[in-house]
Amino acid sequence: MKRILIIDDAATVRMYHRQILETAGYKVDEAVNGIEALEKSLQHPFGLYVVDINMPKLDGYGFLRELRLQDIYQAPAIMVSTEAKPDDQRQAFAAGANIYLVKPVKPEQLLIHVKLLLGEALE
Amino acid sequence: MTPLLEQFLSEARDFLQGIGEKLMQLEDAPDDAELMTALFRMVHTLKGNSGLFDFPEMTRVLHAGEDLMDAVRHEQVEYSQDLADRLLDAMDFVGMLCDEVETKGGIGAHHAADSARLAQSLRRLIASVDSAAAVVAVVATALPNELTKTGIVVFEGTLPPLADIPESIRMDAYRQACGGVDLHWLDYTPTADCFFQGDDPFFQARGTPGFLWGSITVRQPWPALDELDAYRCVLEFHLLTTAPREQLDEYYRYVPDQVLMIPVTPLFLALPQGDPNGGPKAYENFVDEALELLKANQLEDLVLVASNLIEVSSLELWLSSALRWLLLVMELEPENRDAFAKIIDSLRRLSSPKWTELLPTVSEGNLPPEPEPRLFQHSLTPEEAAVMSTMLDVQREILSLPIQANWQLGRVKAVAATLSSCLMASGDVAALAGLEAATAMALDEADSIPLLVWLDQFQLTRQSVTEESPANQVDVGVPVQPVMQETPLDIPPDATRASDGEAGAKFGRRAEDAIVGPKSLKVDQVKIDRLMNLIGEMVVSKNALPYLAGRAENVFGVRDLSREIKAQYMVINRIAEEMQDAIMQVRMMPVSFVFQRFPRLVRDISRKLGKEVNLVLIGEDTEADKNVIESLGDPLMHIVRNSLDHGFEQPEVRRAIGKPAAGTLTISASQESDRVIIEILDDGKGIDPDRVKRKAYENGLLDEATLERISDQDAINLIFAAGLSTVDVISDLSGRGVGMDVVRTAVEKVNGVISLDSEIGKGTRIRLSLPLSMAVTHVMLIESAGQTFGIPMDSVLETVRVPCANISSIKQSLVTVLRGNIVPLKSINTLLAIVAPPQANPDHELAVLVVRRGNEAVGLLVDDFRETVDIILKPMTGVLADIPVYAGSALMGDGSVLMVLNIKELLL
Repeated sequence: MKRILIIDDAATVRMYHRQILETAGYKVDEAVNGIEALEKSLQHPFGLYVVDINMPKLDGYGFLRELRLQDIYQAPAIMVSTEAKPDDQRQAFAAGANIYLVKPVKPEQLLIHVKLLLGEALE
Repeated sequence: MTPLLEQFLSEARDFLQGIGEKLMQLEDAPDDAELMTALFRMVHTLKGNSGLFDFPEMTRVLHAGEDLMDAVRHEQVEYSQDLADRLLDAMDFVGMLCDEVETKGGIGAHHAADSARLAQSLRRLIASVDSAAAVVAVVATALPNELTKTGIVVFEGTLPPLADIPESIRMDAYRQACGGVDLHWLDYTPTADCFFQGDDPFFQARGTPGFLWGSITVRQPWPALDELDAYRCVLEFHLLTTAPREQLDEYYRYVPDQVLMIPVTPLFLALPQGDPNGGPKAYENFVDEALELLKANQLEDLVLVASNLIEVSSLELWLSSALRWLLLVMELEPENRDAFAKIIDSLRRLSSPKWTELLPTVSEGNLPPEPEPRLFQHSLTPEEAAVMSTMLDVQREILSLPIQANWQLGRVKAVAATLSSCLMASGDVAALAGLEAATAMALDEADSIPLLVWLDQFQLTRQSVTEESPANQVDVGVPVQPVMQETPLDIPPDATRASDGEAGAKFGRRAEDAIVGPKSLKVDQVKIDRLMNLIGEMVVSKNALPYLAGRAENVFGVRDLSREIKAQYMVINRIAEEMQDAIMQVRMMPVSFVFQRFPRLVRDISRKLGKEVNLVLIGEDTEADKNVIESLGDPLMHIVRNSLDHGFEQPEVRRAIGKPAAGTLTISASQESDRVIIEILDDGKGIDPDRVKRKAYENGLLDEATLERISDQDAINLIFAAGLSTVDVISDLSGRGVGMDVVRTAVEKVNGVISLDSEIGKGTRIRLSLPLSMAVTHVMLIESAGQTFGIPMDSVLETVRVPCANISSIKQSLVTVLRGNIVPLKSINTLLAIVAPPQANPDHELAVLVVRRGNEAVGLLVDDFRETVDIILKPMTGVLADIPVYAGSALMGDGSVLMVLNIKELLL
C-alpha cells in the first residue's frame, strides 16, 4: 500500500485532506512544512505528495525542488493552492509538481487524481 | 460538531488572535515587510480554511481582507490606521461568526448583508488601484447568493448538462413531457459585449417562458483580478423549459444566433444518480430477478419488488434513484419495456442508461449533449478519463519546460511515475513497456525529449482508438508480455540505499533545520482535568502509607515492616509530588494570554475618549494556572477600562499641569513565592479620598462618626464597597468606581487579594495577588467537639492560646485583647450549631484561631489546632451544594473525609 504525504501548515486543511483520503482507504502521513516533509520522505519515500504552497520555513516550491534533487523514488506530487493564476501553475510545474489543483479541492476530484496518480487499476 | 469543524474553529481563533497582534505590531513598524508577509499568510490561510466549509459570509470577508493585504504587501496600497481599523473590524466580524458557528452550528443568513458591507469596505481600499476589478469582485461574490434564491444554480466550468438538473426537476419535466408538453434544452451564449447593446442576459434567461431549471457557467476560467474586464460577458446560460418551440423562437428573436435550442426526449432525463454504496455487485441479485420478471411479463410483481427495495434503501443511493426512475417510467410509459430493461440493466454498471441506443431515430444531430461515457478504457469513469486527459496534457507541459539542470532528473522521474500510474490506473499495461524504454532513454540523455515523443505518440493512438472502438486496448511502443509482476512504481533498489542515513544527514544539518519550532500539542482541557483529579487522589491516598506504618508498629508490633513501609512511602511520595508538579506545569499558562488583548483595548478606548495613553506591559511570560489566568481576564479588563475612562486626564489638561500629554499605563506581572502579583499603574489624576468619603456618606455607607475617623487609605478602599458602584456616583468620583466591587468579588473568588493605593495628581496603583494554582488548597486542621475541620490557610492570620482569664464579654459577645487590639471571639461550635462549650487545655487556655474577615480580625474558639495539609478541594455537590458554610470536602490519607469551612460564610 503506497502512502500519501500531506504537506500543509494549516491543520484544518491537513485534517480535511486526511479525512477524504483515509475514508477512501489510503494510508496518510502529515508534515507541517517543507523541512519536515523532506525529512519524512527521506526516511521512507511516499507514493504521492499533496503539497501546499505557502508554508513557513520551506514552502511548497522549495520542498519540491529539494525533493526532486534527491536520489530516491520520485513520486508524483499534487500541488494544492488557493491561487489559480497561470503563473503560479508554471512555477509549480517548474519546481517539480505534476498536477496543480485549486483549493478547496472537492473530495471526488482529489480522489480521482489520487487514484490515477497511485496507478490503481480497477479489479 | 465534526472534528474537522472543531479543528477549524480552534485554528481560526488562533489566527484571528495572531492577525490582531500582527496588526498592532504593524502600527509601530508599518514598513516591516516580514510582518506584512506573516499577516498576509495568516489571512490567506484562514480564508483557505473557511473555504472548506459552506460559510460564504466568512469567506467573502476574508477573501477581501486577503486581497487587501496582498495589495499592501505589494505596495499597491499604503498601510494606514484606517486600513488597520477596518481589518480589525472585519476580523471581529469573523470571530463573531466563529462564535455563532460554535453555538448554533452554522451562520445565520442575516449576516450576508454585513459580510457584503465589510468586504466592500475592504475592497474600496484597493479600489483606488483598480476600481474595475473591485466592482467585479463584489459582483462575483454577491451574484451566487442572488441566484440561488431564484432557484438557479451557478456552476463554474462545463458540466454535462442533463445530469446536472436535480432529479426532482427532471422527474417533474418528465411527467410534464409525458403529459404532452415539449421539452427544450437551451444554451444561451450572450456575446461578450452584450452589455453595450442593451442586453440583460440574466433577466432574459430568467424570463424564458416555461422555465424549469437553469444554470450558469463561465466560458473560460476566470482570469486573475487585474486582467479581468468586468464589462465583458463571459457567462453561458443553460436552461430547461417546457415552452413550445415557436414561443421560444419569439422570445429570443433578437438574439437567435446566440441561442441553441435542443429538443429533449423525455426518457433522456432518466439518469439515476447517487451513492453507489457497494454497487454494482450488491445489486446483482435484484437485477437478475427484475429482468426475469420483466421477461415473464410480470410487471405488477416487478413494481412490487422495486417498491419494496426502495422502502428499505436510503434515498441518496444510486439504487434508489434508479428505482424511482423505473417506477416513474413504468407508470407513465407502461408500454416501453425496453426502457425498463435499460434502467434495470444500468444497475449492473452504475452508469446511466444509454438512451441513444434505444432511440436511434432521435439523433438527427440535434441530440442533447449526452452524458454518454466517452470511454476508451472500461475501468475509468468519464470523469476519471477526463482528468487523465488533462493529466497527460499537464505532463507534456512539464516536459516542455526549460531544463533545470539541478533537479531535471527528479522532475523527469516524477513525470514518468505519473504517466506510468495513469497507465496502471486505466489498465493500460501494454503501454508500460514503451514508457519504460522512453524513460530510460530520457534519464540517460538527461533530456525530456524521448518522453515527449512517447507521450505524443501515446496520446495520438489514444485518440484514434477512442474514436474507432472504445473496447480496444491501447498498444503503444514495444509490445511485451503484459505480465508485470514488478510494477515500475515500486521503489527502485538504489532509492532504498539513498534513503537510509546518508541522505537524511544531508538535511539533518541545515541551518533552517536547527530552529525547530516549539513542538506543542493541543489537548482537551477535560483530559488534563482528569489527570489532575487522578493525581489529586494519588497524593491523598499515598498518605495512607504512614498511617499504615503507624498501625503496623503500634497495633501489630512489627517495627521492621513499619520501617519498610515508611521507606517505600518516601519513594512514592517523591514520585507523586513530581508527577503533581509536572501536571501542574501542563496547566500553567503565561499571563500574556490575558495581556495580549490590552494593546488593542487600550488603543481603541483611548482613541474613542480622545486621550493619549502608552501601554507598557511587563513580565508577560510570568506563568500561572490556567484557571487563575482565565479568571484574571475580566477583572483586569474592568480595571483597565476604568483607568482609561476615569484615571487619565485629557491631553490638554495634562499639558496644563505639566505632565506629558500621553499618559502611561503599566501592567506588570511577577511571581512572589507561590503567588502571582499583577500591578496596574497609571499616572493619571489619582483618587481624591475626600470625595469618596463624601459620596460614601451621601450613600449611607458611612455614618458621621466614621466619616470623622476614617483614614484616607480606608476611604479609598471604600470604592470596593458594593454601594459605591452605581453609575452616576462614579463618573463624579475622580477616578474609579464602576464595578470595583465586582472586580473584588471576582478576584476573591479565586482566593486572590486586591489592594489599591492612590495619590492625588500622581496616579493610582492597583495590586492583585493571586495564587499560582487553585488545584491544591493549603488548609489547617482544627478540632472541635471531637470533629476535625479544615480552614483554608489564606484566611488564617495566626493561632494563639488565650488564658481563660483574658477573655471578657462585652454586651454578650466574647472579646479578648491581642497586642492592644480588641478581637471579637466566636465559638466555632456555636457557629456550626454544635451544642458543646469550648474545651480549654490543662493550662486553662483556649485555642483561638485568628482569621481574617474582610479587613478585620476575628478569633475562632476551637478545641485544638492540628497540622496543616495540602488537599484537593472538591466542591460540594448535590443537595450539599446548598450549604454555603462548607467550601468543600477532601479525602484524607486515612480514608476519612475532611470538611473544609468557608470562613466568610461562616462568620456572616
